[in-house]
Amino acid sequence: MEESRDLEILKVSQLFCERDERILFKGLAFSVREGQILQIKGSNGSGKTTLLRILCGLNSGYQGLISWRGKPIGECLDEFYSSLTYIGHRVGVSKVLTPIENLRWVSGLHHQVTDQAIYSSLQKMGLKGFEESQCFSLSAGQQQRVSLSKLPLSRSKLWILDEPFTTLDADGIELLEILLCEHVGRGGLALVTTHHQLAIPGLTILDLG
Amino acid sequence: MWLWFAKLGSPRWFYEVSGRWLPWLSGAMLLFMSVGAVWALLFLPPDYQQSFTTRILVVHVAVAGTSLAFFPLMAVAGTITLVWKMKLADMVAKNAAPLGAWFSLVTLATGSLWGSVMWGTWWEWTDARLVSMLFQFFLLLSVIALRSAIEDSEKAAKACALLSIVGCINTVIIKYSVEWWNVLHQPSSPINMSNDSANGPEFWLVTGVMIVAVYLFLTVSLILTTRNEILERERRSRWVKDIIS
Amino acid sequence: MKADESSTYQAFVGTLKRDLLIAFKRKNEIANPFIFFLIVAALFPIGITPDPVRLAEIAAGVLWISALLASLLAMDNLYSADFEDGSLEQLLLSHHPLYFLVLAKNIGHWLVSGLPVVLISPLIAYMLNFPRESYMVLFITLLMGTPILSLLGSIGVALTVGLGGRGLVLAVITLPMSVPVLITGTLAIQETGNSAPLVGYLAILGAMLVGSLSLAPLASAVALRISVN
Repeated sequence: MEESRDLEILKVSQLFCERDERILFKGLAFSVREGQILQIKGSNGSGKTTLLRILCGLNSGYQGLISWRGKPIGECLDEFYSSLTYIGHRVGVSKVLTPIENLRWVSGLHHQVTDQAIYSSLQKMGLKGFEESQCFSLSAGQQQRVSLSKLPLSRSKLWILDEPFTTLDADGIELLEILLCEHVGRGGLALVTTHHQLAIPGLTILDLG
Repeated sequence: MWLWFAKLGSPRWFYEVSGRWLPWLSGAMLLFMSVGAVWALLFLPPDYQQSFTTRILVVHVAVAGTSLAFFPLMAVAGTITLVWKMKLADMVAKNAAPLGAWFSLVTLATGSLWGSVMWGTWWEWTDARLVSMLFQFFLLLSVIALRSAIEDSEKAAKACALLSIVGCINTVIIKYSVEWWNVLHQPSSPINMSNDSANGPEFWLVTGVMIVAVYLFLTVSLILTTRNEILERERRSRWVKDIIS
Repeated sequence: MKADESSTYQAFVGTLKRDLLIAFKRKNEIANPFIFFLIVAALFPIGITPDPVRLAEIAAGVLWISALLASLLAMDNLYSADFEDGSLEQLLLSHHPLYFLVLAKNIGHWLVSGLPVVLISPLIAYMLNFPRESYMVLFITLLMGTPILSLLGSIGVALTVGLGGRGLVLAVITLPMSVPVLITGTLAIQETGNSAPLVGYLAILGAMLVGSLSLAPLASAVALRISVN
């Protein structure tokens, strides 16, 4: 019993959030262990994105306790951010830059990264041949893949992905599932919002209704 | 201390306590206001230099002095909003901005009214106080503009809180830089600004009464508007429903 | 702390490089404020007087106000593109102090929008019959003053990023804040002849620059967190 509590790295309790005088969630509690993927489901407007943004510290309009490795995230924000990779609705890809330039910056914010690693990551995500083209010439799905290319590069313990499957084709979905499996295999944690049926071991589902 | 602080942050507590204080404050305000106004407008002897214009000056000085309190007030409220997330502070700050803009405008209007008699002109760039008051007015307008531009009320509260803090620092810097700008342009000005010393002790006594009156007016207006704000924001809670029905 | 984590300095340089790269790819963003500065400055003689003596009198004010308006116009794209494509969220989620990352963005922005205006100012000054002896002072005050305008403007932009129709709100917020810089800059130029007060003005401008360098990015950082909320 003691051991499994130690493995609960991200823990949320008594979470309350209200938006525009509507209660999104009340008394919400869950925890994520090492090697666990939490899939967050819910109808439109049920607060999936809000929940993820709260967990990232991008939204502070909530009450309740979120703790990371036993400490409230407010007290260990630096440590928390250095173990977090977030991909939101807005994927964080500048359209005037090339995939290489985008990844150099966004991964460089977290850790040192070589161009060689970026090339191989882009290749892994099926973007070979597009490394040097400006992102506005890429399709929405390809831009999503550029953003997802930072996952193989990242050393983060926790991945928070908001609707990462929406613009991907069947091939891309499979690639992302493989990435998630590898991440879980390394003992990583992931929170994913999607309606897609994930074929991944260690999956838990949280339904916001 | 902390318990008291937390209690003060509760809108309901504020509503109840302010309700008890309001009649006393309003009564005191009316008393001071009428004494000050009657004294200043009817009985204050004309100054040998400025004649009856000192009577405008009583109102002007009182309003001007009070209008300087707004940015510090909003900055303190803003700090409380940002650090302790106390909603009551924002309710006060939200209504303080338009009130402050109004006070600044009245200061400018009475100032130029007085100036039109004493200087023969409605506007004088060489008066540092008028110019810095004008910019304080602009800064208060910018807080109001920002509040109305942001739809999400919680976000608006925080953004305006930050802008009020920045604005408060800025009004001080503007005040000094305008004064200094003014001193350097003084040789070109025919007007002697040192008229304060010309006013006698009675003038300052009336003005003192008037300043107290205007501060009370400020307090009463802020309490009234904040109470309205509380009722609006808490309209779904039981205690507000009980009061209304 | 893992061994290959990037240092704050690397993140700072990376952000600066990225912003400069984006600016050079969108050349019009560099060119527009610059052209705007030229046009506004050219409108004053047409609107006021072609008389060289009177132009010389107002030249300092014309140059400063044109620079102020150009800086305001350029500010708008400091955070808006990053906000729209989500890069701003990534910036906020970095474990490095946001102060340095915001400072990097501010510096990058000034290099492409403020510096060109400063560099071209002697030419406009010549066209306005600006007093010969004041060229150096004009150049130095603009060089010290325009970064302050950028740093202050950044707070306004950060507060309004993501709002529809933010242009006017931004102007209403930013312009009153620039009064002290405008006063110091123009006074210094008028005092060119007297070396003693001149040093004083430059010292005050320097103090304003140091003050805004240390405080404004903090305010911008808080404002960005509020706006992205």
